[in-house]
Amino acid sequence: MERIYIDRQLCEACKGCMLACMAKHNGENIDTLDLLDTSNQSANLIEQSSQGEVAPIFCRHCDKPECVEACMSGALTKDKETGIVSLDQNKCAGCWMCVMSCSYGMINKDTNANVAFKCDLCKDREKSACIENCPTGAIELIEVGEGRA
Amino acid sequence: MVKERCTSADCRLCEFLDSKPELETSFNREPKQSVKCGFGKKGVCCRLCSNGPCRITPKSPRGVCGADADTIVARNFLRNVAAGAACYLHVVENTANNLREAGLGNYATELKGLEMLDELAELFDVEAEDVNEKAVQVAEKVLADLYKPRYKKMELVEKLAYSPRLKKWKELDIIPGGAKSEVFDALVKTSTNLSSDPVDMLMHVLNLGISTGLYGLHMTNLLNDVMLGEPEITQDKVGFKVVDEDYINIVVTGHQHTMIAHLQDALITEEATKMAQDVGAKGFKIVGSTCVGQDLQLRGAHYKDVFAGHAGNNYTSEALLATGGIDLVISEFNCTIPGLELVAEKYQVKMIAIDDVAKKTTAEMLKFDPAKAPEITDKLIKAAVESYQNRRSKIEIDIPKDHGYDDVVTGVSEKSLRKFLGGNYKALIDLIASGKIKGVAAVVGCSNLTAKGHDVFSVGLTKELIKRDILVLSAGCTTGGLENCGLVSPSAAKLAGDNLREVCEELGIPPVLNFGPCLSIGRVEEVAVELAKALDVDLPQLPAVLSAPQWLEEQALADGAFGLALGLPLHLALPPFVTGSEIIVDTLTKNLPEITGGQLIIDTEIESAADKLEEIILDRRSGLGL
Repeated sequence: MERIYIDRQLCEACKGCMLACMAKHNGENIDTLDLLDTSNQSANLIEQSSQGEVAPIFCRHCDKPECVEACMSGALTKDKETGIVSLDQNKCAGCWMCVMSCSYGMINKDTNANVAFKCDLCKDREKSACIENCPTGAIELIEVGEGRA
Repeated sequence: MVKERCTSADCRLCEFLDSKPELETSFNREPKQSVKCGFGKKGVCCRLCSNGPCRITPKSPRGVCGADADTIVARNFLRNVAAGAACYLHVVENTANNLREAGLGNYATELKGLEMLDELAELFDVEAEDVNEKAVQVAEKVLADLYKPRYKKMELVEKLAYSPRLKKWKELDIIPGGAKSEVFDALVKTSTNLSSDPVDMLMHVLNLGISTGLYGLHMTNLLNDVMLGEPEITQDKVGFKVVDEDYINIVVTGHQHTMIAHLQDALITEEATKMAQDVGAKGFKIVGSTCVGQDLQLRGAHYKDVFAGHAGNNYTSEALLATGGIDLVISEFNCTIPGLELVAEKYQVKMIAIDDVAKKTTAEMLKFDPAKAPEITDKLIKAAVESYQNRRSKIEIDIPKDHGYDDVVTGVSEKSLRKFLGGNYKALIDLIASGKIKGVAAVVGCSNLTAKGHDVFSVGLTKELIKRDILVLSAGCTTGGLENCGLVSPSAAKLAGDNLREVCEELGIPPVLNFGPCLSIGRVEEVAVELAKALDVDLPQLPAVLSAPQWLEEQALADGAFGLALGLPLHLALPPFVTGSEIIVDTLTKNLPEITGGQLIIDTEIESAADKLEEIILDRRSGLGL
């Protein structure tokens, strides 16, 4: 099972991963992406920690995902094989229980619809857009065993 | 194992690079730099104050100071264009100064283009009779304009510009004041918390385009013609095959051909040849590289003995040193890429900079001064001899003699083309009117490694255009690539559409006319002016388009601004760093036709770019009733 791994030391906070994520979810490339369109949304974030350090925050696709537990409509599921926590927006009722339950704040309201929005690990692509667009190699997919949260 | 590398349209060059696994060049570094910063690409990163760097995102649509994406992009773009204009203005300033010093008798070089001197003297109302006095006065007119304050308009613009354009520029209030002052105030305007008006800054871009085009390009060409001789149509060798290891070989990188006027004559004197023979060489050769090589090729009729031929463009220069056949690199301007230093060190090639704007870390500085030309030439020759002696026994020579072509047509200028056509442009206009030639496309500018690879887009687009019976005019490093890929040889006619092929075969010319260095983009634009004059129309009505598919530098952006001010459609295969601003993008790509008549076209694909350029040409043809 693969999981996104972030090497904080390598992150320069260029936010390239956020641009790539926004472009990917809007069917655009970075050149055509409209940065003034507030409906553009990135599933990952580069924030600052309380100690003033760069804090890249990505969905962990947890082993025991709180969001999946909290989802009443069955829109959120965890694939046992790939480990990916997926959201089916068609099934989402917009109750926001997932938003409230995620300890990392990595599931949010979709800015374009009354449904949730989260990282899908770009499962439709060979390589996640954020990984592809990280100039320092701070983001990578690593193989992990069972039982890690 | 073959290292990862960027590709090139020049397959033999790729083979050569792959044959040297221990050699690192730009081609190997490009893949490692392929992930780009999106904010930088879009031009929305601002580093003008200590609150920054600020970047625009949907959640942070303004910088700390309140600047929005349009302001940030416009400031960055104007700074890029100002730097590019400054580069070309540096070249024309030095060129005019060298001509002035030659006229004053301080620069020991013979003026080779007296016909052009007379033409310029007449155009500028210089009344002097004496050749030297004429040269001094012509040069001083140019210098005086460059040094004017911003509030005084440059006088020669009125004499150099095509009248319908002049009228348009006056309406738009973009006639430049003193060129250097315009660059200066562009920096002021774009500094911290000054202008925030993107439209005003775009108008300043056009203003800088005019001084770049008319002075940096066009005037430099004409002054070079006076000092170095006018281009004459001829054929020459290109590619690495031009390097003859039996000679002491010097590569000059840059754009300031007049700086080597004394040197190139001195290299073929008996005295110099004897010095070379004393160490076992047959003599000296200058091997063409970058734009000064293209300029030497253009004027090749005057430099048969000293000029070996043009080896290749900017990104070919590292590989050129790796042939082992080069003994000295003299740098005087761009494109002297920093990677050259690493290769020079590996192959023990001596480097000397003669203008500190092109001072490389590992180069010795020997500042050019026209009054000290003989002394400088002497030092350069001695350095070349010493380097030859030191390195030749230690370095392996590996010159791919099958790289390049023997029959590239060169020496095309606005004047030599007119002469070739029989004294006026009627013959070309007739061919356009009859549809044998659908229109003309200038495929010009640099080469980069990112628009599909080295020369890949330029070569691909040129092939598409000639296939559609569109005559291609080329200048700059683009031409260097087209030459080494065979498109500037008469045999390339077979790649053209039936109509253009017939014209080329009848005249014995290639479907791509080679105007030489990037400075000659000014000559290509002069051809467009000549065609417009003959048809009595303004430039935006002509079936003529511009493309700088593989633009590289800030200079190219300033060139491009001139094209847009001239009212020509300009295609780029990579957008400039402006896509973060809707106002800038819309103004350049949608509104400009109503402003100057020009238009920026961004298309990253070869075939669709050719479709768009062809469509414009067909549209212009029908506008002219053709």
